[in-house]
Amino acid sequence: MSDYEFDAIVIGSGVSGGWAAKELTEKGMKVLMLDRGRMVEHSADYPFEGTGPWEQPYRGQTPPALLEDDYYASRYGGAGQTAVKGFMNNDRLNPYAIKDGPEFRWVRPGTVGGKSITWGRVSLRFGPQDFEANGKDGHGNDWPIRYDDIAPWYSYVESYAGIAGSKEGLPHLPDGEFQPPHPMNVAETWLKTRLEKAMPDRKVIHIRTANMTEDKPEQGRSRCQSRSQCNRGCSFGAYFSTQAVTLPAARATNNLTLLSDQVVTSLEYDPKTKRVTGVRTIDANTQTTHTYRSRIVFLCASAMASNQILLNSKLPGSDKSFADSSGKLGRYIMDHPMLTLFSGNLPEGIHADVIEYGRKPAGIYIPRFRNLDGQDADADFLRGYGCQGGGSRGVSSAVGFGASMKAGLRTYGLWSVGFNVFGECLPYLDNTITLHPTKVDRFGVPQALFNVTYRDNEKKMMADGVRQGRAMMEAAGLINISAEERPHIPGDSIHEMGGACMGKDPRTSVTNAWNQLHDAPNVFVTDGSAMASTSCVNPSLTFMAFTARAADHAVKQVKAGAI
Amino acid sequence: MAHDHSRIDRRGLLTGILAMVGGVAVAPIARAMQAGMDPGYTPANPFMTADQRALTAAVSERIIPTTDTPGAIAAEVPAFIEMMLSEWYWPGERDLVMGGLAAIDAAARKTHGKPFAAIMSEQQDAILTSAMNQTLPDAPADSFEHLRQLVIFGYYSSEIGCTVERVYLPVPGRYDGAYPYSEVNRVFSS
Repeated sequence: MSDYEFDAIVIGSGVSGGWAAKELTEKGMKVLMLDRGRMVEHSADYPFEGTGPWEQPYRGQTPPALLEDDYYASRYGGAGQTAVKGFMNNDRLNPYAIKDGPEFRWVRPGTVGGKSITWGRVSLRFGPQDFEANGKDGHGNDWPIRYDDIAPWYSYVESYAGIAGSKEGLPHLPDGEFQPPHPMNVAETWLKTRLEKAMPDRKVIHIRTANMTEDKPEQGRSRCQSRSQCNRGCSFGAYFSTQAVTLPAARATNNLTLLSDQVVTSLEYDPKTKRVTGVRTIDANTQTTHTYRSRIVFLCASAMASNQILLNSKLPGSDKSFADSSGKLGRYIMDHPMLTLFSGNLPEGIHADVIEYGRKPAGIYIPRFRNLDGQDADADFLRGYGCQGGGSRGVSSAVGFGASMKAGLRTYGLWSVGFNVFGECLPYLDNTITLHPTKVDRFGVPQALFNVTYRDNEKKMMADGVRQGRAMMEAAGLINISAEERPHIPGDSIHEMGGACMGKDPRTSVTNAWNQLHDAPNVFVTDGSAMASTSCVNPSLTFMAFTARAADHAVKQVKAGAI
Repeated sequence: MAHDHSRIDRRGLLTGILAMVGGVAVAPIARAMQAGMDPGYTPANPFMTADQRALTAAVSERIIPTTDTPGAIAAEVPAFIEMMLSEWYWPGERDLVMGGLAAIDAAARKTHGKPFAAIMSEQQDAILTSAMNQTLPDAPADSFEHLRQLVIFGYYSSEIGCTVERVYLPVPGRYDGAYPYSEVNRVFSS
């Protein structure tokens, strides 16, 4: 197709990179996919899948000293589990400037497949109101697209990935292409019935999840086996991951070259043609440097890592990034505050004779109910939040010791339900990622420095979540109710977004409506960094949809000779 | 040896052979009987004396005794505790647990003139009750609770705990959120 080594280079192999590789190779492009992490092959490299705790070092619990030294951020993404640690970044070897700004927990993966192996799999669409919010309340840049622009691409990725959920007809949480939902247990059904009756503006629905309830034999994937050990890797391919879904598709085209252990340090830019002309790498094991060349580049390194790469990609003879003519690169960093928690027990005797068989990979969801029809009179904050949770029945607590304690631990306690509140964070110009002026990593790349804080709106929203959570638990008739907030640390929900935000105007935004850099139209940034706002829903499905949409546009542009 | 076993399990699991529990129960008991006190672990920094090991075993077995299913010793909990204390715990936590054990043994020697491991079960239980109620002389605060939690974790994460005492479900295959407890009368493990 061209004089380049490759038609396209995809930087990163996580949720977004995997989709970019799949779509571009299937459209006939020769693609090089680079990942800084080590190789993980589907099934073969899931060493702890299907093992009992006695078969794992320290019964599956990473020693605390190791967590403090090597996984001080990854510990918030599951590195405390032996079976997950191997998929996470070693923060000692690959640090960021965590001590130099307000606390930001940058949870990173350490392998090919990125966070797609260990993600939470909740797959919800942004609603029409999410793409309108910035324009309406003036925070951040107005999105250059609307829901209808992305809706068909949601359908496209949902159908292939396999999303289980229920159609609910909610305008602000649009339905998608769903497999049947994972069934509710008796506690979840009990809560749904009682809460929806007591508070008619609240809904309790199956959370929508990328864990299949039907087989996809054409992809070699089976439905969920109810092990709920997803983040160890799943040889059934029951949940969406690069390894199970997009990588096999891309490989099947014979158009893919995948290189692991390749750290992208920066992009080479030609100011005359306004194009990126090369991708500079360093081999994580051999320290060998190389510059790969292609016609187009998909930057999918993860939201913050893509920012770091762009910030480190200078105009020739300048210390300014080529991608920052707007002055907005690295700004509007967002995450979902989520440490508002509420829970309760079903009263004694309710469903006392039944328990759970198997382990469900997904729970229930109370979709956003705040500020949907204009501003609620009693809401002192903008936008809203959703509540993610589930019902379960745990083992009775251990009382005393000896034979009586042992007998007691053969029984179950009361059914319980519990939720986390996920709130929308407003885009703030001065919530930033920058490059540390002096600290570099072992590859000579300046370390990422975060200056991200939650503000008044987030604090009021999370406090409202406590009040509403308690009210909902009370209205449903639960007992032992708890509703509380813990410190909301940005990064905690691992939904970090922004920094290369989309917008209509090149003077105020970094990427356009097709995820293209305003400053280099042959670069498409399709991970979370391009998000102009966060909604209150989990974002990975949206990254998939944007990536597929951008790939389609990119190939058309290439074929038309436009880029 | 244990490694081979896990590999066989995993292959069985992935081909769907090991979909239910049943037969796996016998193997770990048999192995535990043969192995006696073989811990199955080699602590990187073994630090207990023979007396401390006997004490740890005796206390563990009273916290989770042999009933209709094996107890803490058969489940190799004492060796697990030594391994965790030497390799996993912070030094301060280790001192806390060891201080609690020492206080338990001292009470046995004072009251009965023998080490804790050598007195009758009823006598042992009386001392442990005192430890639980935080009335044992010289026992660091909360040391018994730390020890108790360590025994509970070690037992229910062991092969015996997961597959004999509990009903191991590595591949449930389906989810039922209204499953009669009377079908199992036990707790499922994973």
